[in-house]
Amino acid sequence: MIATKKREFKDLMENIKDYKSFFLVGCSECASLCGTGGEPELAELKETLEKEGKTVTGTFRAKTGCQVLGTKVELKPFKEHLDKTDVVIVMSCGAGTQAAVEIFPDKPVYQSNDTLFLANMTRYQIFDERCSLCGECILDETGGICPVTACPKGLLNGPCGGTNDGNCEVSPDIKCCWVRIYERLNKINRLDDMKKTREAKDWSKSQKPRALIARTKEEKKK
Amino acid sequence: MSFKDILNSGKFAVTAEIGPPKGTDIKEMLHHMEILRGKIDAANITDNQSAVMRISSIAVCKLALEYGLEPILQMTCRDRNRIGLQADLLGAYVLGIKNVLCMTGDHVSAGDHKQAKPVYDVESVQLLKIVDGMNNGKDMAGNDLKGATDYFQGAVVTPESNPIEPQLMKFEKKVKAGAKFFQTQAIYDIEKFKTFMAHARQFNVKIMAGIVVLKSAGMANFMNNFVPGIKVPQNLIDELKAAGKEKALDTGLNIAARHIKQLKDEKICDGVHIMAIGMEDKVPAIMERAGLL
Repeated sequence: MIATKKREFKDLMENIKDYKSFFLVGCSECASLCGTGGEPELAELKETLEKEGKTVTGTFRAKTGCQVLGTKVELKPFKEHLDKTDVVIVMSCGAGTQAAVEIFPDKPVYQSNDTLFLANMTRYQIFDERCSLCGECILDETGGICPVTACPKGLLNGPCGGTNDGNCEVSPDIKCCWVRIYERLNKINRLDDMKKTREAKDWSKSQKPRALIARTKEEKKK
Repeated sequence: MSFKDILNSGKFAVTAEIGPPKGTDIKEMLHHMEILRGKIDAANITDNQSAVMRISSIAVCKLALEYGLEPILQMTCRDRNRIGLQADLLGAYVLGIKNVLCMTGDHVSAGDHKQAKPVYDVESVQLLKIVDGMNNGKDMAGNDLKGATDYFQGAVVTPESNPIEPQLMKFEKKVKAGAKFFQTQAIYDIEKFKTFMAHARQFNVKIMAGIVVLKSAGMANFMNNFVPGIKVPQNLIDELKAAGKEKALDTGLNIAARHIKQLKDEKICDGVHIMAIGMEDKVPAIMERAGLL
């Protein structure tokens, strides 16, 4: 899932100060789990905006806000509310905001969150980053722990000199991922995997902007 | 004799560290170079050490050459991608720099530009492979070079790292990647260092023990608590404490000299790398007390 964090309200207000009416778009997926774009947050932002003297013409929680076509269809019943609004505020991730930009070519779209990272939820609303979406997965060689992400330097061939009794030089709150990888490979009898020298990463695999057509040609015709 | 020839001849080699200053006033640094000239076999020129921005290592290496001091270019992967690193390797070589120490580099979060983007496009093992390739006339992408380099390339290792096994695996990768010499993180427990050396001696590489001068018991405690991979044993801390404030530094110099002498006399390793950290002017005194001058 995508982790998002609510922006300071005063920063949002500064960005939207020129406008009077707003339509709020949340998302049932990641932003709901993060507590940044679910029903309670939609209601809260509506109330706060109204206290500031603004008008909220409607609120809507997309099923999956990053799905452009699906969200567009879901929004059809809200045409009246949307016609009346100056601005759309998106309360999900940067992908959700840009889906809205495509859906509303003639309206300003603002976002209430900062988009952080691809997240694992370890406990309720506690998230950490385990995958960097680098396009070239090496998990099979590293005991299923990603050093591209878990090591602040993204080292591929073992710990640096900063590894400190199992912790990372960057912060004692981070466990050295190469010590974790070592311990795990040792446990599953795969230490030889750690002895292999890994070549430098092919960053062309994550050259931006990336695009993917996952369906086959046949499906396209249908 | 060049640094490479000294190490390869089996003579006990001594290197020291020169940290380029932040700013264009280089008087003090040149003074340190003068003090060290003719005494040490080569000087490591640090590369934005601790991720603090300073004069570039290559520029100071060139100054060292002009001052008659053989430089070891420290090169980290923090600030340049593979194109920048290779361009600088070629550039340094044509300026007459023959030694390079390949390291990953402290993270930007340790330094004075914490908002910088850390690069780490490649890391120490891969950088060693790049140098090996360039010595054989090829760049990293396999393109032919018009004129190869002939670097004497080294790397670093932390013998006191805990746990030690992953560190030793990386050490072996560095050997395979072409490292010819190693300079270690500071070591204080010679008996423990002997255990590391017993492992390292399986490989055909030269090992120089890292020596960091202890200025006080406080500094020793600080390093134990905050510097990864450094363990100052309690008996040395007690020795510094017993010396009292005024004699602490002198005692620290004696400890460094004593360790160097033992490493040399017992032929434990191939040389020492003295990191004086701001006390470069004390390096000759340490060498004298160790019987090296």
